[in-house]
Amino acid sequence: MTRTYECMFLLDNDAVRAGWNDAKSSVSSLVSKHGGSVVTARRWDERRLAYPIRHKNRATYLLTYCELDAPQIEELRNELDISETVLRYLILATDAVPAEERELSEAEQSPEFELPEPPADDAIDVVPSAETEEKSEGETPAADGEATQEKPAEASSEASDAAPEVKAPVSAAATAEAEEN
Amino acid sequence: MAMKGRKSGAGRNMTRRTVKLNLDLRPDQPILYKDLELLRKCIGSQGEIISRRRTALNAKRQRELKQAIKRARHLALLPFVG
Repeated sequence: MTRTYECMFLLDNDAVRAGWNDAKSSVSSLVSKHGGSVVTARRWDERRLAYPIRHKNRATYLLTYCELDAPQIEELRNELDISETVLRYLILATDAVPAEERELSEAEQSPEFELPEPPADDAIDVVPSAETEEKSEGETPAADGEATQEKPAEASSEASDAAPEVKAPVSAAATAEAEEN
Repeated sequence: MAMKGRKSGAGRNMTRRTVKLNLDLRPDQPILYKDLELLRKCIGSQGEIISRRRTALNAKRQRELKQAIKRARHLALLPFVG
């Protein structure tokens, strides 16, 4: 029996940069391969992930509504697990496709739709590459600068240790004023 | 001195009332994993699901909330920890 399913896919930003429509069609081709049809598909959001997935910090969410045969879902899941583009997915049975989803999905088809470019910092460097090592070398003088900056701060804290005797009468006077008001 | 205000806090009555969350949920409004604004209110600082005592939801609604938070976690919309 065919049912409507709400499928949310987490897509790799690298694939999104290569082409949004290609990324979208790669997912819908997977669905149609298993006897399903994609009713609506739209970009839900592009956001920072709560935790890294496959060494990625950011990803794009694709929200789709599909007509699928229940027994086919297991096979579709197997294929999605293998897919490089899809980081995660969530397939939920629903009663109907919301009307607003149709509108939003159509709005994405129009030529006016522009895909916001995903920010560049989606990948995590697991092994520190040569570039990051260079960077860290470049940062060392800055770290020295911070060390020198700390010294005056310490000095001021010492000064403040001595200060309370002087300051206390002032604050007492201030509170006295506040009480009067 | 500044000790003035302390009198009120440690009074005779030490029973502490739990502070309920104000979720602004309509009775017919489903709790969905996509509603992050709502779900953020229902997790603690370490990412744990807040208890029924504080969310003030009935058992059915709390199950709905639990399901939504778990789905959101799966999609990395909410943290498992932290």
